[in-house]
Amino acid sequence: MTDRSARERILDAAVLRIASDGIDAVRIARIAMDARVSTALVHYHFATREALLAEALEHSYESAGDVPDLGGDPVTRLKAMIDQCLPLPGELERDWVLWVELWLRAVRHPELRPTAAKLYARMKAWFKTAIEAGEFGVTDAGAIADRTLALIDGLGLRALLGDPEMPLERARAEVWHALAGDLGLRDGAASGYVH
Amino acid sequence: MSPRPTTGHVRRPAILTAAAAVIAERGVIGTRIADVAERAGTSAPGVLYWFATKDELLTEALAFSDDRFYAELSEQLAKLGSARERLERLVEVWPSEGDSETVLWMELWVRALRDPAVNATRAQFDARWRAAIADVVREGQMAGEFGEEDPEAFALTLGALMDGFAIQLALRDPAVTPELVKGHCMALVEERLGLEGVTDGG
Repeated sequence: MTDRSARERILDAAVLRIASDGIDAVRIARIAMDARVSTALVHYHFATREALLAEALEHSYESAGDVPDLGGDPVTRLKAMIDQCLPLPGELERDWVLWVELWLRAVRHPELRPTAAKLYARMKAWFKTAIEAGEFGVTDAGAIADRTLALIDGLGLRALLGDPEMPLERARAEVWHALAGDLGLRDGAASGYVH
Repeated sequence: MSPRPTTGHVRRPAILTAAAAVIAERGVIGTRIADVAERAGTSAPGVLYWFATKDELLTEALAFSDDRFYAELSEQLAKLGSARERLERLVEVWPSEGDSETVLWMELWVRALRDPAVNATRAQFDARWRAAIADVVREGQMAGEFGEEDPEAFALTLGALMDGFAIQLALRDPAVTPELVKGHCMALVEERLGLEGVTDGG
């Protein structure tokens, strides 16, 4: 095994542990066990616990930031993008737990804020590009992207927390409803979601 | 019955104010009861007499500041003539609560992910805020200022939008300013509640 692969295994293990246990409860020994390396090797690669956790969050967001081109017509594509950003059961739900952990961490540790800002910038650009490519005739694609992401965070958080007022289906319909309004689309006809 | 004078009415708020400050700085996990006690000018047993766990300290500290927040808010809202101005005020006071307040809410969300009791408390805070928004919407509808829209559904959407932006503000995202956030929120108000785009500032 090369050093690089051990390092990546440690980061992957850390990401999974943060998602399941929470960043504050994560133990280095546990991450080492999951990654099948010694704690000494973990300490060799990462000087401090903070350094490991910060890098693990960044690591998870680097792949999260690889924005896929979802194809399809503009409306289908935007809806698929919304789905990619909501805590759908499985991997996306786990990513969302990390996302919430990152918010808190980055607020408390300013050195993580550039990571968070970079991720937001990337996601906003993703939406902005898709909106512009859709030729909806809007002039403020950037502002629409900002608002869509804020709504996704606020509604997605509630869905993630299992808020009975905000099941995932409703979060998805709400985000699309707002976006369709911003794009000047007739919501009901175009959405395909029950609202 | 004990003839001793009680200091509970002084102690409890002091502990909660101290708890809010310490938890905002260090997080629930990093907070020690002794730190809260020291900040509040009391002893650890003095804190534990009132609060059994750190999660309880967090939720009670938030409840305490929430009560103060709503008391001040209703005073402010009472001075405003139109429902639209009241809604605008709601939008202004929320994200400008500042870092230390938002960070406590984030602590609550993270704890709520893993603790159903904390999550239930979170849902209550959320419901209270949504009710405050929905009340203003209803007032506006009765006064003929706002169009037809389900006040509860609107409150849910506006509340979520504000939270989403509060996160970005707390992260000090250079692309997001309080003015921008206010603009987005009021745009939603105007679209959904059928207002004209006439604003008196902002």
